Amino acid sequence: MKRRKAGPSGVVEAPLDVRTQALAKEEERPSVKDGRLKTYEPGDNAARFLDLLGRRVSRSLAVSLTACVHCGLCAESCHYFLARPDDPTMTPVWKADQVRKIFKRHIDWTGRIAPWWVKAGTVRNDEDLNRLKNIVFGTCSACRRCTYNCPMGVDTGLLVRFTRGLLTELGIVPEGVFNVSRDQWETGNQMAVTEQDYLETLEWMRDELRTELGTDAVDIPVDKKGCDVLYTINPREIKFDPRSIAHAAKIFHVAGESWTLPKWGWDQTNFGLFSGDDKLGAFVARNVYEAAERLRVKRIVISECGHGYRSTRWEGYTWAGYDQKLPTESVVVTLKRYLETGRISVDPSRNAEAVTFHDSCNIARSGDLVEEPREVLRRVCADFREMFPNRRENFCCTGGGGLLSMAEYRPLRLEVAKIKADQLRATGAKLVCTMCHNCIDGLADVIKHYKLPMRVVQVLELVSNALVVPAKSEK
Amino acid sequence: MSEFLRILENEVQIAALVFLALVYAGRLIWIFRFKTRKDRTFAAGSEGAGAGYSLMNIAMPGAMESTRKRPGFYVQFIIFHAGVAAAIAGTFIIPYAPGVFEVRGIVLLFQAVIAAALVVGLLRLVRRLTNPVLREISSPDDYFSLVLLIVWFAAGALAVPNRPEKGEWPLILYFGLTAFFLVYVPFSKICHYLYYPFSRFYLGRSLGHRGAIPPSSTGKRTTARTAKERA
Repeated sequence: MKRRKAGPSGVVEAPLDVRTQALAKEEERPSVKDGRLKTYEPGDNAARFLDLLGRRVSRSLAVSLTACVHCGLCAESCHYFLARPDDPTMTPVWKADQVRKIFKRHIDWTGRIAPWWVKAGTVRNDEDLNRLKNIVFGTCSACRRCTYNCPMGVDTGLLVRFTRGLLTELGIVPEGVFNVSRDQWETGNQMAVTEQDYLETLEWMRDELRTELGTDAVDIPVDKKGCDVLYTINPREIKFDPRSIAHAAKIFHVAGESWTLPKWGWDQTNFGLFSGDDKLGAFVARNVYEAAERLRVKRIVISECGHGYRSTRWEGYTWAGYDQKLPTESVVVTLKRYLETGRISVDPSRNAEAVTFHDSCNIARSGDLVEEPREVLRRVCADFREMFPNRRENFCCTGGGGLLSMAEYRPLRLEVAKIKADQLRATGAKLVCTMCHNCIDGLADVIKHYKLPMRVVQVLELVSNALVVPAKSEK
Repeated sequence: MSEFLRILENEVQIAALVFLALVYAGRLIWIFRFKTRKDRTFAAGSEGAGAGYSLMNIAMPGAMESTRKRPGFYVQFIIFHAGVAAAIAGTFIIPYAPGVFEVRGIVLLFQAVIAAALVVGLLRLVRRLTNPVLREISSPDDYFSLVLLIVWFAAGALAVPNRPEKGEWPLILYFGLTAFFLVYVPFSKICHYLYYPFSRFYLGRSLGHRGAIPPSSTGKRTTARTAKERA
């Protein structure tokens, strides 16, 4: 095999596109005008980057920046490197070293005294920062598979998010990241769904469900106070997949759940996780927590979404400086409870096709749920089979880390998705189930690109298919 | 034993150790100056269990895919670090408990362990020089630290019989390198063992809080072992 010379991959040279940022400034968009969303200003960005780096490094980051021994064991845990085994720039260690060398040069000891000895370096100008942007946004999905495979416990996923956050503060971000951040700052959801669209879609789904079940008793309540459950969703469900809301509503109805959606604070996704912007993360997460307080619910339930679950269940409370007061869980955990307590009954023969399960990185590696979805799937599917590797060793859908919104990195993303395609193909399953909307799109891209004979489904859909609706729930 | 060797084995080592301790203290202060964030969520697991599991990762080659798939690499790791431990022990035994090395079996054991570590060191050097990934990420410090250890292992293997009457140069080389090491280590990658408890603790505490580690007691396998499973 011909060896590729060590050097930057194509995406690393992608130019900084600021056309949307310029338009947002010209239009005096509120998030830009009030300074919440930072835009790119040519100038002394390298100095600002170094200043931010010095001020924001936490202890866990500092030890991840100093502890690497360059053993290279992380390489084979990364789907980018596995797909491009002759390209050292695809290894987690090389990517992390691009920020590590700056830390060494300006903050660590030896690098300040003898930078060449430890390969310390710096950023000199905006071109260097743009290159760094392409590395941390374009060649890593921050899936943390390498984190679990580092003998030293270096958290490269965290380093990548941290670096993204510094660049976001300077407006040196892919256009897609800017656009989605703008929408989430200004509308409270990352797809700019208007309140009217939101409410009308819910009404539409309610009417469909009433027709399906033949009863007007079923409802999709909004802003109902004092319920047991506040159900929060992904805006993708409103825009592209409203049936998932209907599935949840149907199951809640049969289970006799007391639930509501909020009118504001319904988006459990959080682009702050991907952009590294803790302030955006805090704003979005706080919307959800405050909605729960306002409506005096007893529990927050998060629809199927990997980064939404991680953000709302784990990171959001810390970003927002908000002490958790209510149980906050994935809808899959709710479904498991319904099944275990007999609140719903299912007939697995209604899901006869072979189903495999794809663990979302943000749920399995950065969260706590690996067995719960399997327990549900084993009850509702006739032929459930594992893919290998699985659980916390599963490979990313390749659309994680916000990569689906960054068109400039799509060719590389699909190239390295070969690892995921091989993994999916080996299962022989007709359906790949995932509890993440991001993974749906990521996997659908992989399936289409590699022409795999399968389609993507979610846990809610399979449970809804298998749900035995008692006569009293129908007309 | 010459006066030079006596001073090298004693006063010089103590001075170098004191220097190491002072620099390490500075390093610890430096680490603690970085702030940590309070986790405000309800725990789904145990921070203590997570941190403990993470810290014990060093003794669990099956815990990581990277070592599970490369058992040879893990064996090398064990041999290499056993050699380091033996070579360090030698620097204390020779001046303070020389009687230990009067037992031929112990000397041979130490020599075998250190020599095995030397071989691993050479294998690691070859790997670092020939693997394009490692070449790309390696710094002069990575190479120098490894070569230094290899030479130190060689000196240690020759010095542990502790026979200055048959020639002092192996002991001079061994203790000279040790003193240099003690001064150089805090500024090199070799001091990774100082960071290991921190990086492992913080990662383990965070993932333990979320219940991501330790793995569930159900002991589900994650990797296919047979072709049938893969199919």
